[in-house]
Amino acid sequence: MSQQRGITQSKESLLKSYNKRLKDDVKSILDNFTEILKAAKVEEQNQVSTLTQSDQARYEMHVRAANIVRAGESLMKLVSDLKTFLILNDFPSVNEGINQRTQQLKAIQAECDTKLLALRDDMAADLYDLEEEYYSSRYK
Amino acid sequence: MASSSAVERLQALESIEKEIAAVLQNAGLAVQELCKDKPNERQLDRHTGQFLKSLQDVESGLSQEINYLTQVATGQPHEGSSYSAQKETQMALHRVEHAKKRLADLNTVCTQGPQQ
Repeated sequence: MSQQRGITQSKESLLKSYNKRLKDDVKSILDNFTEILKAAKVEEQNQVSTLTQSDQARYEMHVRAANIVRAGESLMKLVSDLKTFLILNDFPSVNEGINQRTQQLKAIQAECDTKLLALRDDMAADLYDLEEEYYSSRYK
Repeated sequence: MASSSAVERLQALESIEKEIAAVLQNAGLAVQELCKDKPNERQLDRHTGQFLKSLQDVESGLSQEINYLTQVATGQPHEGSSYSAQKETQMALHRVEHAKKRLADLNTVCTQGPQQ
């Protein structure tokens, strides 16, 4: 049984935009790489001279390679956005983190109080002697 | 639904980042192989295969993460905190400091005698 919580409109559109960015960037990398490989094919003489043709192919490859790098950087940014979103909105792990911290702090507090109570019990015994000494001296 | 901790998810995203770098590197190696005077077809196939595989891994990894976020995200900000436990611990530490101070004073009185 899947328990889907209601997501607000903005969160839903944000996650959709993440999906879209992912698909677009992956498609861009794949397409540009395929086109580079296609452009590497040596063609027969066309209307323009070989030099112009090779210049054009080189320019096209530069542009496509730059596109691949741009899409790669855009994917990195997407990963960074996902990390931020995960840290802020992944409620199960945030709750777990808060619980762990609370238990840690409660353990420290319980240890402090236990030791203070043990100290109090020891001091009660010693104070008996100290009080006797004090009240039988000339300084009281 | 098995939920892995936040640390594991962040580590998975880190490895996806490295995989993206590997995608670009493999693409570069494949094209570099083509540049040679005598391109080795087997090497070219290998690099292209690695490029496609790493791209596939990146895509599937990221869609998995986005699917997980679709399931756990809500519109509300998280309002939990561990402040109350922190405050109580601070107060316990203050109690300990206070007790230390009083014991130090008592020790001074016992060793040096009362100040007249």
